[in-house]
Amino acid sequence: MINYTMKKGLQLFVTMFGVLTLVFFSIRLIPGDPAAAIAGDSLSAEALEELREKLGLNAPLWAQYIEYLKSILSLDLGTTITTSLPIAGLLLKALPITLIIAVFTVLLSVIIAIPLGTIAAFLAHKGKKALDNIITWAAMLVDLMPSFWTALLLMLFLSLNLRLFPASGAISFDDPVMFFMRVAMPILVLGLTQIATLARITRTAVLEVLNEDYVRTARAMGTSEIIVVFRHALKNAMLPIITVVGLSFGNLLNGTVIVEFIFSIPGIGSLLVYGINSRDYPLVQNVILFYAFVFVAINFLTDLVYKKFDPRVQF
Amino acid sequence: MRTWKWGFTCILVLLMFLTACETSGGGSTSEGTQTAGTSSGEAAGSGEKVLKVRFYDDPAGFDPANIFRIENENIAFNIFSGLTTYDSKTGAIIPDLAESWENSDNQTWKFQLRKGVKWQKGYGEFTSADVLYSYHRILDPVTASPYAAEFNNVESFEAPDPHTFVVKLKKPDGNFLHQVANYHQGQIVKKEAVEEFGDKIRWNPVGTGPYAVEKIDPTSEIVLVRHEEYYKGPAPISKLIFSIMKDDATATIALQNGEIDLLMRTNREENLDTLEKAGFKMNRVDNYAVSLKVFNLEHPILSNPKVRQAWAHAVDFQAIAEGVTPNLQMGAANLMPEWMEGYSKNVPIYEYNPEKAKQLLQEAGYANGFKVKNLATSATGVTDQMQLEQEYLKAVGIQLEFELVDTPTFNQKRNRGEFETATRLLPAVNPDMILFSFLHPDNISPKGLNGARYNNPEVTGKLEAVRAEVDPGKRKVLYEEIQKIAMTELPYLPTFGGNVFWPSKQNIDGVVINKLAQVNFYDVDIK
Repeated sequence: MINYTMKKGLQLFVTMFGVLTLVFFSIRLIPGDPAAAIAGDSLSAEALEELREKLGLNAPLWAQYIEYLKSILSLDLGTTITTSLPIAGLLLKALPITLIIAVFTVLLSVIIAIPLGTIAAFLAHKGKKALDNIITWAAMLVDLMPSFWTALLLMLFLSLNLRLFPASGAISFDDPVMFFMRVAMPILVLGLTQIATLARITRTAVLEVLNEDYVRTARAMGTSEIIVVFRHALKNAMLPIITVVGLSFGNLLNGTVIVEFIFSIPGIGSLLVYGINSRDYPLVQNVILFYAFVFVAINFLTDLVYKKFDPRVQF
Repeated sequence: MRTWKWGFTCILVLLMFLTACETSGGGSTSEGTQTAGTSSGEAAGSGEKVLKVRFYDDPAGFDPANIFRIENENIAFNIFSGLTTYDSKTGAIIPDLAESWENSDNQTWKFQLRKGVKWQKGYGEFTSADVLYSYHRILDPVTASPYAAEFNNVESFEAPDPHTFVVKLKKPDGNFLHQVANYHQGQIVKKEAVEEFGDKIRWNPVGTGPYAVEKIDPTSEIVLVRHEEYYKGPAPISKLIFSIMKDDATATIALQNGEIDLLMRTNREENLDTLEKAGFKMNRVDNYAVSLKVFNLEHPILSNPKVRQAWAHAVDFQAIAEGVTPNLQMGAANLMPEWMEGYSKNVPIYEYNPEKAKQLLQEAGYANGFKVKNLATSATGVTDQMQLEQEYLKAVGIQLEFELVDTPTFNQKRNRGEFETATRLLPAVNPDMILFSFLHPDNISPKGLNGARYNNPEVTGKLEAVRAEVDPGKRKVLYEEIQKIAMTELPYLPTFGGNVFWPSKQNIDGVVINKLAQVNFYDVDIK
């Protein structure tokens, strides 16, 4: 286990280093730079050059790279170029919002999708095609609905017609009620897609296991159907489900740009999009570094959970 | 077979659900009418007026030296003052911190400053030293202000006494008052505040304008409170809350729900329709700026003026505007908008006439047409307007292709002249800003905005003459001559005049959008 942790630690280091190098150079390959973004429409070339000089964009690339490595090693994420705001502060502010949305979305989808998928699998197994088909088809339809569309529909329906949730407003922890009113619709939109994906994966995984010998044995021993399905079948079908939950949690943690945009949620996704649009190099570099960290960390956690469900997994 | 049936049923159920949503969506308009104008903007109990406004992008800070993008400029416009400012309705220059000024030769400008003007947040009284500091700060290379070039023509700034400020120019400039207006480099900052906040001054602006910053959360809202000691007296509304809402549809629903009182700019026809039908007040400014098609004159075919005139005859931009964006755009017949000083009607008009276009192409030697590329941003994509223009041009044999790139790349390519045709819209209140920028060879891109690379010594001479001219009558004549030549040679083809909308509840008064698409909140009140 200690060995494993060390190996993972090294992997984390190498991945992060690779990502930061790649991002550092690739963002500079895109035409346009922060100075041009600030200059926008109406700035002379002379003024642009002065702005570049001030922003340190005229230094040789390798010198900029070494500067960046130094700042990362000293754990200083620096400030944004276009707005001179501390990046660590921006990340720390966006993170809890995105985290809460991600956790609730995953919880919502797990609570609904796993039983739903299991039931569908059980129905399919028992030859009750009709009900299984409803669930499968519905899941597929929901899965295929683009999130910006679902978001607008929910907004029209829940916000404009029923006046259940506000369409706008500040997101602040000072006002927890308002906070949850504001994140409820994003969670619903994201949850719907998650439920659909997860239910389909669960159905497939459980259906496969239901044909296994040990399930038949359990039945032969007179165990009740509920226990057979949920304890024997579902538990053994958990590995692919966990992988999907882990991955989607990672995705959600990195923010969901479109949903954040529509609901005006100042999450991590909005931060990255702002960074890219304004070619704010430090902001993009550090947000993507954070993304890499999240994914490596989630992979590590997923591995740990694997072991819980399948003791045969060796580290 | 059974699978198929079930699938069909599911789709049917879903469709029914959608129709239900749609109908209830439509029904809401009557509800909207009820809310529009009835809910008040007053904070519970206190009797203080609070106005909630939609803000459509992440704020980028409010330091006049490096401010950019119109929505940030609108906030700064309400925090700061200049020596002069703009009349919201006419766009004319009017006094602000300078009560009056003298100028005999367009070269020495002497300003008499207003007495007893107070800075926000207890920074004391405003004097000429503040003006001196602000303008020198813009010129200081350490500030690296993108607007430093606006003072290129300045020989010296002087503050002989606390309420007099004198500017000497290198060359006469009849439009200098625009340079010191409440916009960009013209806005006066407070030295003590700049030094106190250092790098963070853009988030802690201190001005002498009607509103002061109370709180800025760069990811969610900007709160301004009225400056009680504003020289014209306190503004009617005590607090302005700008909430960041990037999506237009969301903002529309927020206004219908009464979550906001005023919607800063919406750029979608369908949202404007919804709000208009629901009875909201459609505050608007028409033709605030003209969109120009930029022809790269270094292109072998486009360098022929007949080709450009043929283009003008071939496309009915007026009809496109009426068909696609009846609210947001109108046709345009000149580089400058009608309301602008020096605007002339006496320029060549290019009526829609495909036959004439074909004839001109034939005269130019392109009877079989040609292929040309139009540079545009992926942010807007290929719009309906662009597709219609493509169709019109096809009819006379010109094949228009589109090259889409992201916005920073677009700006870069356009600045470097790496395009065949492109578009530009430059909001301005000053005729020189348009004519000098687009037609003077000193401004040939990448140095300036002359993206067509237009260089006509006759026009250049007139442009310089009009700057030096003091007599208004002669100025008008010179401006007219410049416009005539520009509209004959057509380095830029005016396509659409842009309109800007700020829909609000019925009880919001005094929302006048000025020619820079900004609102002066001092004039706004809640009834």
